[in-house]
Amino acid sequence: MTSTEASTATSRETSTETVEGYRPPQPDRAGLLARLADVWTDFEARLAEVPILRALDDGDVTVADYQRLLHNLRQQVVDGSLWIARAASNFDMDHFDLRSGAISHALEEHRDHLLLERDYVAVGGSLEALRAGRKNLGSQALSGYMFHEASKPNPVGCLGAMFIIEGLGAQKAGVWARRFQEVLGLADNQVHFMAYHQDADAEHTGTLDAILTSDRIDDDAADAIVTCARVVARLYVMQLTELDEI
Amino acid sequence: MPATAYLTGLGRYLPGEPVANEDVARRLGGVDKRTDGLRARIQRANGIRQRYYALDDEGRTTELNEELAVHALEDALADRGIAASDLGMLACATTQGDLLVPGFASMVHGRLGGGPMQTLTASGVCAASIAALDAAVSKVRLGDHPRAAVVGSELASRWLHQRRFDGVEDHLDAHFLRWMLSDGAGAAIVEFQPRPDRPSLRVDWVRQVSLAHEHEVCMRAGLDGPTAVAGRTWQDYDDVATAEKAGLMQIRQETAVLDELAAAGLAQFEELVDRGLVDLKKLDHVLCHYSTHAFRDVVFDALSTRVPGMDTSRWFSNLETCGNTGAASIFIALEEAWRTGRFAPGDTILLAVPESGRFSFGFAHLTVVEPRRSSR
Repeated sequence: MTSTEASTATSRETSTETVEGYRPPQPDRAGLLARLADVWTDFEARLAEVPILRALDDGDVTVADYQRLLHNLRQQVVDGSLWIARAASNFDMDHFDLRSGAISHALEEHRDHLLLERDYVAVGGSLEALRAGRKNLGSQALSGYMFHEASKPNPVGCLGAMFIIEGLGAQKAGVWARRFQEVLGLADNQVHFMAYHQDADAEHTGTLDAILTSDRIDDDAADAIVTCARVVARLYVMQLTELDEI
Repeated sequence: MPATAYLTGLGRYLPGEPVANEDVARRLGGVDKRTDGLRARIQRANGIRQRYYALDDEGRTTELNEELAVHALEDALADRGIAASDLGMLACATTQGDLLVPGFASMVHGRLGGGPMQTLTASGVCAASIAALDAAVSKVRLGDHPRAAVVGSELASRWLHQRRFDGVEDHLDAHFLRWMLSDGAGAAIVEFQPRPDRPSLRVDWVRQVSLAHEHEVCMRAGLDGPTAVAGRTWQDYDDVATAEKAGLMQIRQETAVLDELAAAGLAQFEELVDRGLVDLKKLDHVLCHYSTHAFRDVVFDALSTRVPGMDTSRWFSNLETCGNTGAASIFIALEEAWRTGRFAPGDTILLAVPESGRFSFGFAHLTVVEPRRSSR
């Protein structure tokens, strides 16, 4: 499926062509989980077109590709717990449960980059060079957007970002880890970051699903969540596509 | 899941100029008629034509054992095109380092430089080489280090010089090794990926086994008889000089049991075949360390009956030209076979290192692999 077909397939949010001509986008009142499932399907189709992931699928990667991917991800991963913590600080007492959730999530994520750094060194990379790295264009956009969203009062939309990022960890990272292992003959000790996320994020998505299906998510919140998920999905693809573009 | 380990660079160092049989006594001394006769007989039997000593004509040591090791390591690093700072581990094998304390690997690392790294000293005799290789390969396969180096290094000549024989009780069993052992070092770089520019040697497995539970010592120094007893080792004498006078500082070989060693080694080889670790139909090269040509014939004849098409083109040893350098030998042989283009991609190689010390055996199985390339 190409990305154009993918967006057509999930056009519920954006279909603006009718026989009468242009029609501005209408609110989608389908259930939030169904809407997010569409976002996910679209995201997966876009990921399948990312050059490094296609090469990985084809088994046409070297250890340099794995290092490149880790190097690029690391520069944004270090920001992960920061924007989650900022979102936590912006939830008022009426959103206390979301504040609690965000605080504990930030705590769980705040050492994540250490796993990644260990893997990078274990495949022959230099820790100094990794830590001296800069965000690629996609990471700049993604990180900037997340801090912006997290800075809003009661930033419920951030749940959409978590849906994408945790989903990626739970459903994709483990597959990538195994594929890199198969193709390059890597040890478990060299793929901690991706392999860990498969288990940890599956747990996180369970918690997230419970929040997303709770009463507190009204229509406005659902719209904010879906939009944030869609933006994050595109920016994540950009981050994976614009490797080394700084 | 473990990673795969590859040998991606090899190096060696043989000190000074080669020393021909007739010049050996000028270096090591021992020019009396009886010693001369023994030397000629032992040299004829072991088939070594030349060897190297880090020892000058006055019997002075010209380089330390750790220097030989570092030269070989630098050669291997240059062969691979990396620096000591790229290494995460250094595994050193030697029979006797320069010092009693600290461990040999610490001294080699200190001289080599590079960054912080794991070190291991495998001490023993010839098969210590395989023990060091096994450690480095295992850590690379665990993913603990992307790159490691292994070196086997020996400086035996100090022990073989006439000054270790003057005024010492005469022991015939000290002559066998005196005219056989010599100095040198060989090194290998171990990595978790094949090198990008040239073929590498994938390490399929490494195996080391001791049969000491059913054998007395066969090669020894520091002990006055075949059995270790408190009070009878070189460290238990009133002083070291007394121990030396009693012959405890000589390397002695119980030659009568060497046939048994060859038989035990062949039994170990059969076990490898039996366990499917060696495929007799796909064994392209055998590099066997042996102390004397007498063993070459025994082992080669035995393998020829088992390995279809086994002929001398698949058998490699440089004992004749490089001497018996103990724990360095197998790396010195592998380096030469590799450098002179004996191996082609897809070939399999068996390294075999029997050690008479107290009957132990080291084996490793390698496959020549092409670089991994991406089409992008």
